[in-house]
Amino acid sequence: MQLTPDETTVFTLWGLGINETVVNTWIVMAMLTVASMLVTRKLRPDVPPNRWRTTLEVIVTGIQRQIEDISSQSSRHVLYFSGTLFLFIALSNLLLVVPGFTPPTASLSTTAALALSVLIAVPLFGITRQGIGGYLKTYIQPSIVMLPFNIISEFSRGISLAIRLYGNVMSGAVIAGILLGVAPFFFPVVMDVLGLLTGLIQAYIFAILATVYISSATAPVHKPVKTPGHEPERGRDHHKEQDR
Amino acid sequence: MSIDWVTVLAQIANFLVLVWLLKRFLYKPILKGIDSREAEIAQRMGEAKRAKEKAVAAEADFVARQQKLQADQDALAERVREQAKQQRDALLAEAHEKMEQERQDSLAQLARERERFTSELYQASADTLYQLAGRALQDLANERLEEHIALHVIGKLDPLSDELASAAEHAEEAVATTHAPLPEGACHEVEAALAARVPGLPLRFATDESQSPGLVLRIGSLELAWTVESYTDELVELLKERLASGESGRVNAHGG
Repeated sequence: MQLTPDETTVFTLWGLGINETVVNTWIVMAMLTVASMLVTRKLRPDVPPNRWRTTLEVIVTGIQRQIEDISSQSSRHVLYFSGTLFLFIALSNLLLVVPGFTPPTASLSTTAALALSVLIAVPLFGITRQGIGGYLKTYIQPSIVMLPFNIISEFSRGISLAIRLYGNVMSGAVIAGILLGVAPFFFPVVMDVLGLLTGLIQAYIFAILATVYISSATAPVHKPVKTPGHEPERGRDHHKEQDR
Repeated sequence: MSIDWVTVLAQIANFLVLVWLLKRFLYKPILKGIDSREAEIAQRMGEAKRAKEKAVAAEADFVARQQKLQADQDALAERVREQAKQQRDALLAEAHEKMEQERQDSLAQLARERERFTSELYQASADTLYQLAGRALQDLANERLEEHIALHVIGKLDPLSDELASAAEHAEEAVATTHAPLPEGACHEVEAALAARVPGLPLRFATDESQSPGLVLRIGSLELAWTVESYTDELVELLKERLASGESGRVNAHGG
């Protein structure tokens, strides 16, 4: 039984073997891009929105609202990143029902790549928002003793994200494959439906966790402020910022 | 199961490309459309708010104008009512005045009618009295009465002496006519009285049955008459004077 599509080479380009994971990723990318282009090509204020445009607006604004609820910030760069994560993973997992199509998220390389992307994006967003000094200070919070634990925590986030996504998608595919051999008529359908549900949930969880990590890195850390008659307070800035 | 790091790198690149593509073809157009729609909605809401404020102001202005119009209308109606009342009062007063005038005219007309009637009644009474008196004198007149009248004439000649003398200058004789022949004694007394005032003028006595009882003396152009008719004429004159003076019309038995 083949557990990853990385092992299937579809074609060779300039001596480099292009495996099924990459090809299926391109297919998903093409579907998302073409659909977006088709829906938004006649996007003018004088044209009333149709059902497709309304659907995309609902999806985009839903993602944006989730990000705002989590981070109490309105950053469109986070929207681009986390939204793309969600849409890519969700569509990949939904394509599980297409016969012969192996979702790219069923590859540990893909999930690792996405986890690495999050792992790299978190410090980049943090540095962009707080500056490199401000971001590095978060590693020694609350004291310098916590530096190794904070570093381990950062890496463990990426690894847990990768394993979580891969495990869930792959387990669904594996279970479906096993049940297809045991009870080929009834259980595969049920498992596929369940796989769609878990795929969407995984996409949601992955994007939410990425947003949480990015938000924790971009939230400014306040120094204790001593004011007459007030106790020093520590917390996050809840001001909503527009980063457009 | 293992991680193909080349695939990992490729997937990272693919993911970054996908982020750019979706940013270019999905997020930006969608968010731009939402922003422009929100801006348009905000603009329309602002316009609606301004239009509402304008409408409220227009409504307030309209209500104020309506109230002013109502007040003007009430004032005009009140003025018209007042004018109508004044006109009605004036018309009523004029009608009352006209009625009073007509009543006065009617009363005056009645008074005139009454006066005219009274006057006509008095006139008729006087005429009747005159006729009765004349008829009574005509019926009662005789030689004895004419004698008394002739004697009465003698007493009346004294104030007329100058006129008699003046008339006698151009007359050849004096003529005394009576209804019936006078007794001889009366004739002598008349002759003597005339001769005393106009000496030398002969007097001739004559009778005229058409003459009313009494004596008529003619000397030239002078004619003096003391007849029953002259008494009734005096009675008529007396009644006329009484009627003209507005007295009751009751003729004094003594002739006033």
